[in-house]
Amino acid sequence: MIHIKDLRASIEGKEILKGLNLDIKPGEVHAIMGPNGAGKSTLGYVLSGRDGYEVEGGSVEFKGQDLLDMEVEDRAQAGLFLAFQYPVEIPGVSNMEFMKESVNAIRLARGEEALSATDFLKKAKAACQQVDLPLAFLKRGVNEGFSGGEKKRNEIMQMILLEPSLCILDESDSGLDVDALQVVANGVNSQRDGKRSFIVVTHYQRLLDYIEPDYVHILADGKIVKSGDASLAKEVEKTGYAWLGAKAEEADA
Amino acid sequence: MSQWLNQVIDRASSRMASGDDWLNPVRSNALHQLQTQAWPGRRTEAWRYTSLHPVEALAGRAANESVNVSIDSDSFAVPGLDSVDILFVNGELRTELAQLDVPAGVHISLLSAPGDAARTVVGQVFTQVKPERHLFGLVNDVMATEGLIVDVDAGVKVTRAIRVINLVTDGTESHNRVLVRVGDEAEVTVIEHGAGSAASMNTAFAEYQLGTKAKLEHYRFALHGGDAIHIGGSHFKMGESSNLNSTLVGYGSQLSRLDVDIEHAAEHAYAKFNNIYLLAENEHFDLHSTIEHAMPNGTTEENARGIVGDNAKAVFNGRIHIHRDAQKTLAELNNRNLLLSRRGQINTKPELEIYADDVQCAHGATVAEIDDEALYYMLTRGISRSKALVMLNFGFIQELVEQMPNEALRNWLQPQLRERFVNMEVK
Ligand SMILES: Nc1ncnc2c1ncn2[C@@H]1O[C@H](COP(=O)(O)OP(=O)(O)O)[C@@H](O)[C@H]1O
Ligand SMILES: [Mg+2]
Repeated sequence: MIHIKDLRASIEGKEILKGLNLDIKPGEVHAIMGPNGAGKSTLGYVLSGRDGYEVEGGSVEFKGQDLLDMEVEDRAQAGLFLAFQYPVEIPGVSNMEFMKESVNAIRLARGEEALSATDFLKKAKAACQQVDLPLAFLKRGVNEGFSGGEKKRNEIMQMILLEPSLCILDESDSGLDVDALQVVANGVNSQRDGKRSFIVVTHYQRLLDYIEPDYVHILADGKIVKSGDASLAKEVEKTGYAWLGAKAEEADA
Repeated sequence: MSQWLNQVIDRASSRMASGDDWLNPVRSNALHQLQTQAWPGRRTEAWRYTSLHPVEALAGRAANESVNVSIDSDSFAVPGLDSVDILFVNGELRTELAQLDVPAGVHISLLSAPGDAARTVVGQVFTQVKPERHLFGLVNDVMATEGLIVDVDAGVKVTRAIRVINLVTDGTESHNRVLVRVGDEAEVTVIEHGAGSAASMNTAFAEYQLGTKAKLEHYRFALHGGDAIHIGGSHFKMGESSNLNSTLVGYGSQLSRLDVDIEHAAEHAYAKFNNIYLLAENEHFDLHSTIEHAMPNGTTEENARGIVGDNAKAVFNGRIHIHRDAQKTLAELNNRNLLLSRRGQINTKPELEIYADDVQCAHGATVAEIDDEALYYMLTRGISRSKALVMLNFGFIQELVEQMPNEALRNWLQPQLRERFVNMEVK
């Protein structure tokens, strides 16, 4: 699905990703954990092509294409989806209009027909129900005045509608209570079909009780410093990231 | 003094000398004002960014007769709108008033043939709401021989909207007048719907008198374009605890200029005034609004938002004047603009004059930029850059469209605005 090789990236001249390697096969779920400021969100932004995130070296191959050479919207149309840690509010553009435009742009890129208004509405309603988002949220401005939890559920709702090949979930669990966490996790699990791949970025092990990862990676100071199976997450839960801090400092020195 | 205005004065004086127009006493005052007011030039503050050259160029040209001009009623149809429609073409009435299904408690009559009751309304409203300083308002005072009078009885709540449609056609000069009295505790919706893009000159002024606790939902659609010259105004006098919700939409044209005055003449009145302008090509749109808080405890919320593309030019001047006795006034004026092209122009000037000390006021004007984060978010959802820009910018005025209380009008206006916008070049 995606091969990330020695990826280096900087923001405003400051190097954040310092040679990151990651290989994900179709259907796999990879969790990325790590302390604040490690570069987890940066990875998502670089993969999605955000302005201001300079790629300094390395390569990313996504479904056989050179991802780093593509425009933001082309990456999305090719099947990459990023659920934001902090979803953006867009007053004046309704969630409905936004998602209809988005779904159809991606469908057209896949060679499918655009959905009619009625067909789209049917799908959108189903997706909302799946993440427990009242239908009224379709009429509101994108994320406008949504609570933290509602924003996260709205991201998962979008993911369900867009049927991407690779989903990057950036702390989709942060700020959620247990019920909301389950809703988000169920939304994600419903999309696991053996072909779709996931990068689940989380600061805590909690989410991984619900979304069981095939691999767990620890990202610290711009690099993957340790990889393992689901048990690694449990280990981190117990020991925290302190050991990493020491190690990262050592590596820096 | 312009030659065009001289012709207006000559025509008006000879008509008034010969005729037995019952409004002559009022009109002659306006005529006198016209004779003494200076023709606005570049140094006249109220016309600083709007040249009257197109009007001056009309001098000496004979206006076309408008008889038998055929009109396509689709051009002003609003699907699903429950309204009583009164159509004027080049200032001439085209609707049989007797055939109208007018709601109980509403009285519709004509300036040319008012009954006794309507004469009382005219006496209370005609030139009584509109300030004298508007030069073209004075022109309208002397030239509008026809006009519509709407009188709503006290306590009557009218659900069906009253819509006045003013169309203009090629080579014509016309003057429309609307006078509305909303009785105490009455509720009504009035729509002024103007359109036409052919070379023409039209003035259209409306005066509204709101009684105690009266409620007026008002729309003014100035959907002109091309070579049309459209100069007009909507003027409101607020009664005690009255409520005004007004939306003005302007498309601009060779010369479009509107003046809106809202006078808080009694306490506890609430006025909401939203204004949208969407200009392209060489269109020019100028809106001057003046809110007079003469009495205490009044509230005004004014929002003007505009998008200017191509070579178009917008002028917005929003003045709020809080008199010394108008304590506890709440007044907000916000003007946001989006400039899509380097050749476009926006001149915006909010003016706040406060003479009372216990008031809450906010005002501001900005020329907005595109929100990069929102744009990026949309791109990550596969939406193309050009489409995202359209959606983002359109959202900016969509917010005001969504605030229009009338659903049929919203549904009619939205796709129109969108289409206008999509055809503008974002550069
Ligand atoms: N816009 C920015 N400008 C400068 N530094 C930034 C910017 N965004 C993030 N950073 C820095 O990049 C590093 C990684 O941030 P981030 O990827 O958000 O970490 P994480 O998601 O792992 O908490 C941090 O040191 C942060 O301060
Ligand atoms: Mg982060």
